[in-house]
Order: sequence, then structure tokens, then C-alpha cells
Amino acid sequence: MSVVSEQRKNLPDKHLETVINKEVITPEDVLRIPKITDTYLCSPDANIFEIDFTRFKIRDLESGAVLFEIAKPVPENLEDNPDKTTENEEAIDPNAGRFVRYQFTPQFLKLKMVGATVEFTVGSKPVNRFRMIERHFFRDKLLKTFDFEFGFCIPYSKNTCEHIYEFPNLPPDLVNEMIASPFETRSDSFYFVEDCLIMHNKADYAYNGGVST
Amino acid sequence: MGFLTVLRKMKQKEKEMRILILGLDNAGKTTILKRFNGEEIDTISPTLGFNIKTLEHRGYKLNMWDVGGQKSLRSYWRNYFECTDGLIWVVDSADKRRLEDCRAELHVLLKEERLAGATLLVFANKQDLPGACSSEELKDILELEKIKTHHWQIVWCSAVTGQNLLSGIDWLINDIAARIFTLD
Ligand SMILES: Nc1nc2c(ncn2[C@@H]2O[C@H](COP(=O)(O)OP(=O)(O)O)[C@@H](O)[C@H]2O)c(=O)[nH]1
Ligand SMILES: [Mg+2]
Repeated sequence: MSVVSEQRKNLPDKHLETVINKEVITPEDVLRIPKITDTYLCSPDANIFEIDFTRFKIRDLESGAVLFEIAKPVPENLEDNPDKTTENEEAIDPNAGRFVRYQFTPQFLKLKMVGATVEFTVGSKPVNRFRMIERHFFRDKLLKTFDFEFGFCIPYSKNTCEHIYEFPNLPPDLVNEMIASPFETRSDSFYFVEDCLIMHNKADYAYNGGVST
Repeated sequence: MGFLTVLRKMKQKEKEMRILILGLDNAGKTTILKRFNGEEIDTISPTLGFNIKTLEHRGYKLNMWDVGGQKSLRSYWRNYFECTDGLIWVVDSADKRRLEDCRAELHVLLKEERLAGATLLVFANKQDLPGACSSEELKDILELEKIKTHHWQIVWCSAVTGQNLLSGIDWLINDIAARIFTLD
């Protein structure tokens, strides 16, 4: 894993266009994209391994407090539920479940150590060289890149991964701008199996919770 | 410069260590991992895959992998051997019925070529339970003195009270660091 604060020279938008039209999108392709993408770079069907993210959690390591947690209802419970609301919603919006919105207070940007956990399940096929690349931007400025290889995943397994990291040291001006500009901090999460993009999730972030505007 | 040297150099730059936590199911692997990272330990269910934590400790970037230990999962362990610097073998010191199974699995593992370069830490866990074997007893039962191929150490601990976890992991990190990062 690497938490890299970097500023790349912006490549021409042509790069993104070329990437979108490629049949197989690789880690190198997405690492060169200089901004948040306007579209999802693969369809939900590309996830032939039935990898399913079932939980996201963020905790503050100093206080131990859980700052954010969402979990998908387990499928067993859904079947018990005659309404099957979640499934219906999914049928309407194929991108449901690909997007998460986080709303934090300004305090969040002052944390020192946080742990970000994802939990996911895998379908009937073994998964090789599972890799995640997550890119966080404020507007067009790259804040950090996570690049982590999970490697092999056991068929029908449930797995968790917590990245515990020091919060990047952001200049105060930037922090204030991020607080004043809700949802302009965004991230793209790309997931690869054997260097081929199979999932693309997005998130956006606000840090003005409890601030009166 | 050989391939291994190059690898070492790369690792040296990042000071990254990959630590694999194995052992029979119910030994306390997941509890140890969570306790070490200050997480709640009262809602742990059996691991049906892996739990990873990446963290910084004493200036090292540790990637810790806890893989489920049920019999049906053990054949998948080999998928996680590559590039392992440290192996933590967790033992339920109070589960005397399964110590023979535990000894056999450990010695099979130590024959693995891809684990040849790994330091071995044996955690004699659950020392808070009455009737738990001491680490001296476990050293004999698990035939640790026979191990000539790996640096090893046995450390008693309790994942529930947290006792001795840190000193065990610190020994592991020191041993790995001495092997990998101070070559030149
Ligand atoms: N008394 C006691 N129980 C423990 C200790 N470590 C783990 N346990 C319990 O042993 C059970 C199995 O633990 P878990 O971490 O899931 O084992 P794993 O299968 O090796 O991951 C759980 O009920 C834990 O609470 C310990 O040091 N002392
Ligand atoms: Mg476990």
C-alpha cells in the first residue's frame, strides 16, 4: 500500500478518452488519469467474480471511536423480507451500490490516525491478484493514491482489509476550502483482477457537518 | 547485483514487512490482530477468508494477513506464502486435544520453500485460561527445538488481556529487520 501525496502534470484529457474506449483497462491506465472520471469505466457486469462490498467503516485510532459505518444487509435477511426493497432499487439503478456519500464534520480533517475498513465477499470462482487503486481528489488536485494488492481470494470467502494510516498533512488553506466546498472532494476506487478492471466505485465527501452556512 | 539484492533494496526503501498469521481455527488469530490494533474483540466470528491490516509500527510498514484456519481453508494457505517476512503461528494453549494436529500442521508449513526466508514467532495464546500449557511445555509438544531452518521464538500471551502481544511482535520485527534491512 502507498499513501502518496503527489501532484502530477495534468495529461491531456485525451488520455481519459483513450482509456474509456479500451477493452481492457489496466492499473497503469487509471494511475495516469489526472482527475475524477465523469463516468464509470466499466459496467456492473464486468464483475464476473461476484465481488461484493458488504461493509465500509472508518475509525479514529486515537479515541477508538467509529466515525462512519455502513453495512449491506446480508442476503439471507433479504430473502426473508417479502418487499425485497433493496433488490428492486438495484433493478432500477444499475449504479446503486457503486457510490457512497460520506458526510463528516470539520473535525474529521484534524484526525491523526484513521483506520478504513472494507469487507467484501467473493463468489464461486477463486480470484487471483486482486488489486485496489483508490484515488482521492479535491477538485482536480490529487490528494492521495492508495494502491494495494490483496492477491488471492478464496471462493465464497468473506474478507476484510483495514488500512491504518496517518492522515495526510494538508495545508490549512486547502482544508478550509475543502470544508467550504461539500462534495467537491471525491474518490474513484478501481478494482482489478489480474490487471483487468472489473469494478469501479465512486464516493464523495463533505466536511461541513454541523457548520452553519 | 542479484535479484534478491534488488528485492532487498526495494524493501529497504519502504521498510515494508509482510506478516502472515496462521494456526488452527479458534486459536485466537483474529483476536490477536484486532487487539494489536486496538479494535473491539467481542464480536469476532470465524474467519472464512482473510483479514488484512496495514499499519505503521516503529517506522515499519506492516502488512499483516490473518487467514482462516478451518480444515477446509488450510489448502488455500499456500496462496499467501509469497514474500512473507514473518510467520506468526498461533496456538490455543488450552486446547490440548488438538496440539498434535497443531504440531503436524506447523511442521508441514516449515517445509514450504516460499516460507524459507521467514522468521517464526509462535504465540502460546490463551494463557489466561486455567490449564493452559506453558510455553516451555509447548516447546516440547510442538517439537520446536527441531526447527533449524528458521529463526524462531515462542512467546506466551493472552489476546483477551493483551498481555505480551507487543513484546512478541517486537521480537519478530527486530529479527526481520536484522535480517533484511541492515545488510549493508
Ligand atoms: N480466554 C481466551 N480466549 C481467547 C483468547 N484469544 C482468543 N480467544 C477466544 O477464542 C475464540 C476464537 O478466537 P478467534 O480470534 O476467532 O480465533 P481464530 O479462528 O484463530 O481467528 C474466540 O471466542 C475468542 O474470544 C485468549 O487469549 N484467551
Ligand atoms: Mg479468525
